Amino acid sequence: MTRELTGLEAAALAESVVPGSVDKTTATACYLKPEHLVATLEALKGSREADLVHLTNLCGVDFWDHMEVIYHIQSFVKNHIALFKVETWDREHAEVPSVVPVFHGAWMQENEAYDLFGIKFPGHPNLYRILLWEGYPGWPLRKDFLSMPGGLQPGLGDFAGEARRQEPPVKVIE
Amino acid sequence: MTQGIKSEPFILNIGPQHPSTHGVFRIKATVDGEKVLDAEMVMGYLHRSMEKLAEERTYTQNIPFTDRTDYLSSMSNNLGYCLAVEKLAGIEVPARGDAIRVIMAELQRLASHCMAVGAFANDTGAWQTPVMWCFREREKILDIFEVTSGARLTCNYMRIGGVAFDLRPQFEPMVRKVLKEFPPFLQEMEDLLSGNEIFISRTRGVGVLTPDMATNSSLSGPMLRGSGIAWDLRKADPYCGYEKYDFDIPIGYQGDSFDRFIVRLEEMRQSLKIIEQALDGLPAGPHSTEVPLALRPPKGEAYARIESPRGELGYYLVSDEGPSPYRFHIRPPSFINLSALREMTVGGTIADAIVVLGSIDIVVGEIDR
Repeated sequence: MTRELTGLEAAALAESVVPGSVDKTTATACYLKPEHLVATLEALKGSREADLVHLTNLCGVDFWDHMEVIYHIQSFVKNHIALFKVETWDREHAEVPSVVPVFHGAWMQENEAYDLFGIKFPGHPNLYRILLWEGYPGWPLRKDFLSMPGGLQPGLGDFAGEARRQEPPVKVIE
Repeated sequence: MTQGIKSEPFILNIGPQHPSTHGVFRIKATVDGEKVLDAEMVMGYLHRSMEKLAEERTYTQNIPFTDRTDYLSSMSNNLGYCLAVEKLAGIEVPARGDAIRVIMAELQRLASHCMAVGAFANDTGAWQTPVMWCFREREKILDIFEVTSGARLTCNYMRIGGVAFDLRPQFEPMVRKVLKEFPPFLQEMEDLLSGNEIFISRTRGVGVLTPDMATNSSLSGPMLRGSGIAWDLRKADPYCGYEKYDFDIPIGYQGDSFDRFIVRLEEMRQSLKIIEQALDGLPAGPHSTEVPLALRPPKGEAYARIESPRGELGYYLVSDEGPSPYRFHIRPPSFINLSALREMTVGGTIADAIVVLGSIDIVVGEIDR
C-alpha cells in the first residue's frame, strides 16, 4: 500500500530541507508558505529521504474567503504520497508561484487552474485559458461565479427535504 | 536543404475534425516542409464543466457524469469515483462487490486497450483491418456489459458501497467464452503487427521518452511503463483486493511508441489472468452495502486513485457535510499524459506526430471534461 504521509510527517520533511517553509499543518496536509514553495518542492524532489519526484495531482479549491492550490506528490521508490497546500487570500489578484521549473507535468494542470479559478502562476512559461476561450467572463469553478450577471443556477434545485447550501453574501460584479 | 532548396515555416492545423486526433482535438503545428518545429495543443471543444455541475448534485447523482468523461472505459471511471466517496465516508464494500468490480474493471481494460491498439495500428497506416478485428473482440465484452448493466458504453454500474445489481446467470459462460477466445486474437494481432517491418519502422524510435522525462512530466499508465518504470497502482497501492491476484507488470525498455504498444498488448494478457482468478474465486454474499441516498460524508477531503486503462485516474473530493461534494476534481490521465506531446513531436515529421498522438491513447471526453 502507498503510505499517505500525515501533515506532520510532510512538514518534518519540508522543514528538514528548507527551514521555515511550513506555514501550518492539518491531519492530512502540510501548508507551505508561497515564497518558499518552489525551493521546497525542488529540494524535496532531490532529497534522498523524501524522493518526491512525481507530481500526481494539482488543483485549486475555492473556500469563499481564500483559495488553495493543492499538490499531491509521490515517490516511486519509497511508495509514499504527500499532500502540500498553498493558500492565497487575495481573490482579485490570486497568485501562487509556478512549479513548472521543478515539475514539467504541472504545465497543463496550472493552466487548468488558471482557466477555471483565475489563479495566476508567475513563472509559468505560457499561461493561457486552456479549456475555455480567451475573454470568457469570469472563472467558472469559483463559488461566486453564478452570482455574476447572467449567471444561471444549474442542477436540480433543492435536494428532497434539504435546504440549499448556505452561501455567504457575494458582491455582484456590475 | 542540402540541395539549396529554400523553405519557410508555416502553420498546419491537425484537427479538430480529423480521424487521427481521436476526437475533437487540434494540434497547431509549425512545420518547415515535413519537419515539425513547434506543436501547440488546442483543446476544450468538448468542455462540459462537469466539475461545476457535480457540485450541485448528490454523491450518487454524480456517478453517471463519470461515465461520460472517459467514454471508452466507463467502468473504471465509476470505480475511481466510488472509491473516493467510500474513502471520504468510510464505507466498506463486501467481498463479492470487490470481486465483481475487479472483473468489470479488467474487462473494461481489455475493451479499452482493444480500441487503443486498433486505432494505433490505423494511425500507422495498417488501414482498417486491425481496428476491425479489435472491434469484433470488443463487441463481445460490450455484450457482457449490456447483459450485466443494461448499457454498452455508459454503464453506470458501480454504486457507492458496491455495484448496482448482482451478476446474471449467463454472465459467467459469456466471460469464459471471452477468456477462451481472447488469447488467439492477441496472438493474431501480434503476428500481424509486432513483427511487421512497416509497423516497426513507423514506430521504433518514434516519440522516445526517457524515464526521467516521463516522471517529470507526471505521466502514468502505459506511457510510464513503456519508458521502463514499473509503476502500476494495482501493485503499488492495491484497491478492491488486487493484492490477492497474481499478475505481472509489463514494461518497455526504449520508451518509444512501439514499446507503449507492446505494453498495452501484454497488459491484456495480464488482465485475462486476473479475470480468470477473480471468476474462479468469486465469493458468495451480498454485492453491495446499504448506503443512504442522501449521503453526507463527514467534513474532510479524500484523494483516491485507480489504474485506469490510460493511467492514474484520481478523484479529489472535498466535503462540507453537505449532500453534494463541495469540490469535485478529476485527475484525468489522458489530459496529463499530453504534457509530453510537444517534447515528443518537435523535431520529427508530421507523420511521426500522428503516430505519437496515437501512442498516447487519448480520449477527448476525458481531456476536456
